[in-house]
Amino acid sequence: MIKTLNIVLTGTALLALIGVYALKYSVEETASAKFELQATIERQEADLSLLKADWSYLNQPAHVAPIVARHQEALGLQPIAPAQFVTLDTLPMRPAAPDTDALNALFESLDAGVDPADQMIGE
Amino acid sequence: MAMITEPTPTITLEGARISRGNLTKARIRWVILALIIMFGIVGGRLIQLGSVVADSTIEGQTRDVITATRPAILDRNGLEMAVDIRVPSLYAEPRRIIDVDEAVEKLSEVMPEINRDWLRKRLTGDKGFVWVKRELTPALQERILRLGIPGLDFLTESKRFYPAGPEAAHVLGAVNIDNQGIAGIERHMDTEDVALLQSIGLARGQELTPVELSIDLRVQHAMREQLVDSLTRYQAVAAAGVMLDIRTGEVIAMASLPDFDPNDPATALLEGRMNRITAGKFELGSTMKTVTLAGALDSGKVKITDTFDARFGVRFGRFTIDDFHGKHRILTLPEVYKYSSNIGTIHIMQALGKDDFRAFLTRIGFDAPLALELPEKTRSNVPAKFSEIVAATASFGHGLSITPMHMASAMAAFVNDGNYVQPTMYKRSLEEARAMYVPIIKPETSHYMRYLMRLNALEGSGSRMNKMADGYRTGGKTGTAEKVVEGRYAVGKNLNVFASAFPMDNPRYAMVILVDEPKRENEQSGTTAGWNAGEVTGRIVAQVAPMLGIAPDFSEMTDAALLPVELR
Repeated sequence: MIKTLNIVLTGTALLALIGVYALKYSVEETASAKFELQATIERQEADLSLLKADWSYLNQPAHVAPIVARHQEALGLQPIAPAQFVTLDTLPMRPAAPDTDALNALFESLDAGVDPADQMIGE
Repeated sequence: MAMITEPTPTITLEGARISRGNLTKARIRWVILALIIMFGIVGGRLIQLGSVVADSTIEGQTRDVITATRPAILDRNGLEMAVDIRVPSLYAEPRRIIDVDEAVEKLSEVMPEINRDWLRKRLTGDKGFVWVKRELTPALQERILRLGIPGLDFLTESKRFYPAGPEAAHVLGAVNIDNQGIAGIERHMDTEDVALLQSIGLARGQELTPVELSIDLRVQHAMREQLVDSLTRYQAVAAAGVMLDIRTGEVIAMASLPDFDPNDPATALLEGRMNRITAGKFELGSTMKTVTLAGALDSGKVKITDTFDARFGVRFGRFTIDDFHGKHRILTLPEVYKYSSNIGTIHIMQALGKDDFRAFLTRIGFDAPLALELPEKTRSNVPAKFSEIVAATASFGHGLSITPMHMASAMAAFVNDGNYVQPTMYKRSLEEARAMYVPIIKPETSHYMRYLMRLNALEGSGSRMNKMADGYRTGGKTGTAEKVVEGRYAVGKNLNVFASAFPMDNPRYAMVILVDEPKRENEQSGTTAGWNAGEVTGRIVAQVAPMLGIAPDFSEMTDAALLPVELR
């Protein structure tokens, strides 16, 4: 009776031992994985901060303006003169829409090999 | 058969039992003692471990402060003006360095700029932490890692980076190597809440809410570019400018030349690098006439239709004050302003009364210290009581010095229907601003002022400015003040000012431009403010008005509509 109890208890102790060690090692593994991840995050954040700084540097008016000045001649760039600003009502009305049916007829007859211009000349 | 129950003498070994019992008791006691000692040791160790204070300070500073981040600073359109970048810093643990000479040898190969003797002294000893070099490049970090010296390691620090360089130097200020603000907005942020966040370790390694300034970087760039240009074009010693949104009091642009590079904070300490807009006070010359006229017209004692005798100079004892471009005839009020007549202005001030004039200066905030967030500020210097002659000179801008920021916010109020709003460096909504409005002049007076300022641009000293900013309905007043050198007014050394606002039919922005000691641009040009400060203003307006959404308008009706009813 006592013997069996002892065996059971020893067995439980052994199992607990193995369990605890397994847990310990798995925790250590997780911890090192976490540190690795943290290091990666930190490195990427550092890289990101540099990229962000780069991006904002490249977007600065102080950076863009000299580039514009450098290519002004080649691209024919000019500052907008005040007289070039107009309002909507100074723009002329849109011309009447093109006659799509007539154009379609023209293209069809051209596809068919008949040029209406030739016919007109022929007449 | 008798059951003789002879009482068998039971040998009761009382003594043995007792002695066994005693032995057990003694054993139990020993075991208890052993257990107490054992648990005592365990408990003692626990207490010992619990009471160990890990040394988290690095040369007197906590680790948190060093790795602390600062919030990004954005302009009003969300463009970064200051960002944090993470950079590695090299430190050493001298007590873990085995061969100091070898370490010094190897390190100086990679970083030849480091003094060897200094480095050797630094690495010798029993210290736990010393900085070797802070804020390295990632490439250099890689090379040092390759050396494989024990006892050297890296710590990631936050470093402030200003992508715009000197563009908005005086606005942003700078930080020191420990990331604490030492000037400008950076310093103001620290006095507010960043320092608190950092001290409780919250600002470490996490993103803070970015700070949004009122500055528009495009306008800032345009203004600074024109000011830089003015230094060469007019061979001026210094130049400065500020632009305000009159409705919200937001500072749209602020520049003062010469300036410095916030990425290299030491340059901020060179002479003449102060922020002239807030930390410099000047006699702003004739731009003060705008103030005098506003005060006089608002009191009702002077009407826009009044005329003033400017035939003779005004005598004060031995002194006679005369006009610079004298007309020496009777002038109407708009003419006094247009021809910038000192005599006329003195008469207008006298009609208002010197005490009322002094009270008006207080009303528009010329005595009060600037309420702006920048730490670099100076108090204006206005005599507490005006005598007759002091009031007379003050009416055209001599004998009192104010900061250009004071003048800009007064200008803003004059054209904003008379509502004064404290200027700010941070973004502010129109509703917030409206709640802060302080009426300083009546809306009618504001209307007169807009007419007068526009008139001066069309026909008076602002015409050169108007030619450059054609179509943007800018109005303004010039001021040419002789500089005081060693207690005297120096001839030929002028501080030229142009205080303006645009577009006058629906004012949005006010601007003050200063050009210090300008020379003639060429033989035909002059040295008065219209030729330099005025032209600079015109060029800036022409460049920034389209960015700010102001459409040009060449219709003469727009200007004609500004004419007050009384003068039609």
